[in-house]
Amino acid sequence: MGGDSKYQGLWYVAPYVIGLLLFTGFPFVASLYLSFTDYDLLSSPKWVGTENYEKLFTRDRTFKKSLNVTLIYVCTTVPLKLAFALFIAVVLNYRIKGIGFFRTAYYVPSILGGSIAIAVLWRYIFANTGLINMIIGLFGFEPINWFGEPGNALFTITLLRVWQFGSAMVIFLAALQSVDKSLYEAASIDGAKPWQIFRHVTLPLITPVIFFNLIMQTVQAFQEFNGPYIITEGGPLKSTYLLPLYIYDEAFKSFDMGYASAIAWVLFVIIMVLTLIAFWSSKKWVYYAGDKRN
Amino acid sequence: MKLKFLSIVLATTALSGAANAADLRMSWWGGDSRHAATQEALKVCGAKHGHTISPEFTGWSGHYEKLTTQIAGGTEADIMQVNWPWLSIYSADGNGLADLNELSGIIDLSNWDAAQIQAGSLNGKLNGLPISTTGRLFVFNKTTFDKAGLALPKTWDDLLAAGPVFKEKLGDDYFPFEAAKLDAALIMTLYGTQATGKPLIDPATNELAWNKDELVNAIEFYKSLVDNHVVQPWKDVASTGIKALHENPAWSSGKIAGTYQWDSTYFKISDPLEDGQELAYVDLLTQDGQKTPGIYRKASMVFSISANSPNKEAAAQVVNCMLNEPEGVAALGSTRGVPSSSSARAQLLDAGAIKQVQIDAQARVLAAEGPAIHPMMEFPDVRSAMQDNLELFAYGEIDASTAADEMMLSIAEALEDIGS
Repeated sequence: MGGDSKYQGLWYVAPYVIGLLLFTGFPFVASLYLSFTDYDLLSSPKWVGTENYEKLFTRDRTFKKSLNVTLIYVCTTVPLKLAFALFIAVVLNYRIKGIGFFRTAYYVPSILGGSIAIAVLWRYIFANTGLINMIIGLFGFEPINWFGEPGNALFTITLLRVWQFGSAMVIFLAALQSVDKSLYEAASIDGAKPWQIFRHVTLPLITPVIFFNLIMQTVQAFQEFNGPYIITEGGPLKSTYLLPLYIYDEAFKSFDMGYASAIAWVLFVIIMVLTLIAFWSSKKWVYYAGDKRN
Repeated sequence: MKLKFLSIVLATTALSGAANAADLRMSWWGGDSRHAATQEALKVCGAKHGHTISPEFTGWSGHYEKLTTQIAGGTEADIMQVNWPWLSIYSADGNGLADLNELSGIIDLSNWDAAQIQAGSLNGKLNGLPISTTGRLFVFNKTTFDKAGLALPKTWDDLLAAGPVFKEKLGDDYFPFEAAKLDAALIMTLYGTQATGKPLIDPATNELAWNKDELVNAIEFYKSLVDNHVVQPWKDVASTGIKALHENPAWSSGKIAGTYQWDSTYFKISDPLEDGQELAYVDLLTQDGQKTPGIYRKASMVFSISANSPNKEAAAQVVNCMLNEPEGVAALGSTRGVPSSSSARAQLLDAGAIKQVQIDAQARVLAAEGPAIHPMMEFPDVRSAMQDNLELFAYGEIDASTAADEMMLSIAEALEDIGS
């Protein structure tokens, strides 16, 4: 393992690769096998063929409901979060006093947002006697039942996710700052208004970053667990019962690991298909500098 | 030489059965008072027998998942507090947990009667030693009922009549009782059991024992509790974002004045009460023409020793210390209810360490009659079959007849899955 060894790089990446194979690769493959078994964790897996998948698609109403809720959650969370992150990034791109403080302050929720403590805090803030209803009350409005009404409960969970916009915002901010200033000057000279400049200059130039954030946020939204688990436990009426919660319940409450693995694989396929669609569609709306197609 | 040999033999004999100093782990769930008492008991018993015991404790929520995963992975603690219905999951053939009969030289099993030993046994192997017997009882906030000018209820009709009085005299936010989620499902089950004389799941056949009409009757009773301002509507309970009764300020302040809980949880529900609030247990509420009082009684929890533990004898010493020996019994107190061990019970009664209210509650649990409860009643799939459909009914998404159909179907499916 000398300094000039051509294998030196492999040694450096070996710990990561071994960890990846051991703790991600193996469980990944094992879960595929387990999805075709009846496995209760306490006894050996029994091969049942495609029975788990058949049950999932033909008889399991909870799966249908959970899938529906998950798709609604992803379809609302991702656009909202991206739009909000981009909006804040645009604001923070201006040279204003104390910009460093604001950039840090807006990023903090992303560090804290996924934690259990914040989820618990969210529960108290949106409780019937919580801070939000107190503020609403100050304006003379009736308190809102955030957790008891199915539509409101999902919105509350969505809001927690959107609030954690910091990481997407930082990436947008970096992209905004890399846009060539001369393009803005040229557009201004041609008489373009700020919105037109944003729409026709800024947005096309940051589409690669929008695309990146879209993929990352979609994948993360499909995997959301902490918020609904801590705040609503999937209720009421399973209105916040996202697929990861269903997988958890099947795996660690019913101890039906085979069935939980089948749901996990269906979720994986859904994410994969959506990602492929996004990649395919990206040819039509993502612009890379130097790309001859453009 | 002979004398020396004899000394060695005697010393060896004397030490046989005694365990060397061992590092042990013990896991349990509970509230703050139980956590503090158990840690103290582990210190005392560890010091007495020369072992060190690492405590691993959590709240109730998530403990089942954690323990099951540990057992599946062979990483469970040496000593475990196990919920009685879980025994059949962990040790269907009696071999999943240590057989405590084999450790009877260390644990004095004579402090338990045959029925208690039987309750902790599977396939003739004693997998768990009952710590206490528990039952669901009605407990009311006497202070609030006094404020409303009402005597504590004895019948369901009394309770139904208390709702409007609470609303009128104390305000919209006062309720004589609480029932949502699991508690609502258990109230429904109790009412139906009293009316039919049968448990929901027949222990003899592992099948549903009620017909549809009987289930509809029980489901509709829940609605009458809501309609009469006896309990908060399900939707309103959900709006609080609070998951446990003892965390609810409305319980602490007496605005919620009644509940149906295990008598072993007395401290958990009495500790958060504000000063001046007094709790009182009553006999199970009755209904006209009932066939049984319908007590839901079981071994509240058991102490088990891991089948994988390399220190079973040492673990047995600690278990015996906590359940039978004066030091451990005194430290543990009644934080797991009135002890099943006769010597522990006598010691705590002599010392006045069991509150009169706990003694009264335990007497009510033991005196009341009811059909045997099937362990499957506490299996997650069965519970969610009941809760999910009752919730749909409570939200007005389905009527009682549909709720009954769905519940019967879901429970039957769950029982079939468990059976296979």
